[in-house]
Amino acid sequence: MRRETQNILLVLVGGALLKISFTGAYLQYVKPAHQPWLIGGGLVMVTLAAISIARDLLATRPAADPVLENPGGDNPVSATGSASVSATVRTPAADAVVAQDPAAPASADPHGHDHGEHHHPARSAWLLLLPVLAIFLIAPPALGADSVMRGDNRAAASRSSGTDGMAAFPPLAPGDPVPVAMSDFAARAAWDSGHSLDNRDVRLTGFIVVDGPDTFLARLTIACCAADAFPVKVKLTGPMAAGLTNDTWLDITGRVVPGSASKESDYIPTLTVAGLAEITQPENPYEQ
Amino acid sequence: MSAPAVEAPVEPKRRITSLEVLCAVLVVALLAQGQLASWLDAPAIQTGATIFVAVCAQALPFLVLGVLISGAIAAFVPASALDRLLPKRQALAVPIAGVAGVALPTCECAAVPVARRLMQQGVPTSVALAFLLAAPAVNPIVLVATNVAFPNNPGMVAARLVGSLATAIAMGWLWARFGKTEWIIERALRRLPELDGRSRWRMFFETSRADLVEAGGFLVIGGLTAAVLNVVIPREWVNTLGEQIVLGVIVMAALAVLLALCSEADAFVAASISGMPLLPKLVFLVVGPAIDVKLFALQAGTFGRSFAIRFAPATLVVAVGCAVGAGAIFLGGAA
Repeated sequence: MRRETQNILLVLVGGALLKISFTGAYLQYVKPAHQPWLIGGGLVMVTLAAISIARDLLATRPAADPVLENPGGDNPVSATGSASVSATVRTPAADAVVAQDPAAPASADPHGHDHGEHHHPARSAWLLLLPVLAIFLIAPPALGADSVMRGDNRAAASRSSGTDGMAAFPPLAPGDPVPVAMSDFAARAAWDSGHSLDNRDVRLTGFIVVDGPDTFLARLTIACCAADAFPVKVKLTGPMAAGLTNDTWLDITGRVVPGSASKESDYIPTLTVAGLAEITQPENPYEQ
Repeated sequence: MSAPAVEAPVEPKRRITSLEVLCAVLVVALLAQGQLASWLDAPAIQTGATIFVAVCAQALPFLVLGVLISGAIAAFVPASALDRLLPKRQALAVPIAGVAGVALPTCECAAVPVARRLMQQGVPTSVALAFLLAAPAVNPIVLVATNVAFPNNPGMVAARLVGSLATAIAMGWLWARFGKTEWIIERALRRLPELDGRSRWRMFFETSRADLVEAGGFLVIGGLTAAVLNVVIPREWVNTLGEQIVLGVIVMAALAVLLALCSEADAFVAASISGMPLLPKLVFLVVGPAIDVKLFALQAGTFGRSFAIRFAPATLVVAVGCAVGAGAIFLGGAA
């Protein structure tokens, strides 16, 4: 692959990273704390490509004046780019070193000087197009009901509590209804020895997953990126829970059915729905 | 255009260059955007696409950091300085490199280019490989994450630290004893010339850029594989294993390789699998950062295929062994 093509690919990939970090789309893929990394990585990619392009342009100027390229004039590496260096004064060993020198402006592909494998090493670089096309053209949405059904059957609550036994949770914040994170709700329903959820109206935010006869409110939790997403589910009951469709985002108020998160239910609690409001997907679709 | 001597066609007929191919691909993709989007509408494919972008977005910045460090070593750290820093005896230098991995708190993607650069600068291969395996697994961020994920099992952090360090050191020693340099493609080991002044900066930018283009492609292969496996592997069968330790260890080792999770996140995933004893979870945590599909793709690209097909299975076996050993010591009855 030519250097120019590599540089353009780098600009595209770096641009894609910058795009998702500035539009907020990155929240569909990685945790919020990753944003500075994305911006930094994107900037470095674009900068490396820009430096390379600028140097190529300078190097191909007519007469490629070695003075401009090499103010010191005594620099062996810079000198390799200029035609003024006669090959006859070089030992074969020196030539070998020069031929491998990635900094030599004349090298089309710093890793592929061996004639036999000239195009081979850089062929993988074409794959850098895939994330670019995925981000700019397809822009995959945040994980939703499909992912929840795949990750089924794992006891949601055990993660937050990190324990298989009961524990005393701090009291719920005041408020009626009180907003509670889905993972917190699931953990309290299963493991709270103080039963802080009983007889309290709570408000949960999540999306709908319909699985056979059951309707769940679900939310995915990520630790690093969407690849490690992990579902938290709450089963919905009551007349208002009927007729909902997959991936509808809702604010739901209601009360837990005491004792519903048991070993038999895979520690999935049940919520009696008292009210619901359709919302747009939150800026950060995942819980941390 | 910087390289008329290399790229300019000798024959009078004009060849199609990669630049034109790239433009054509972009134009076609733009025109066919609606069609592409409708093909990719199936929920499973959308889930896979999201995970693919997520893995790339997660790993690319770390790879950038890795190539910058690698470029800096190439340009500013003379081989003689590294030579003076490390003990002459490989058997001693290997554990030191393993412990030095603590200082590079990044994911495994960053460690691959750095390890290769160390080899190029004359560091013995075994020592560079010990660093490669230790850096992603024993750094402070990973250990803190593990502690948060297993609040009631403080032994897990110690077991992970010791298991991963033992894997790195054992693989370093194994390589020193049995490894053959010819398994590694020649260009990965080629010495770089000593430089000074302005040319150092040029070297820094150019090696960083070239490493990034090359390793980036392999990272994409790894991300693609991980995304497909993430969608295809049914998670249910992990939960049906219950208390079967041996089967659990095998399945969790396989999962660690196939899912290719970032080492900061894998502890949370392991903790979330209910009804499984601690030992298989520890195996998952020790194997994952040492070898997975993403790393295999990066290693094959950086060091050559004949290296990767020997090194990766050996790493897997050694990592499982070290994890079981560390688990027996630190988890004891809890396992």
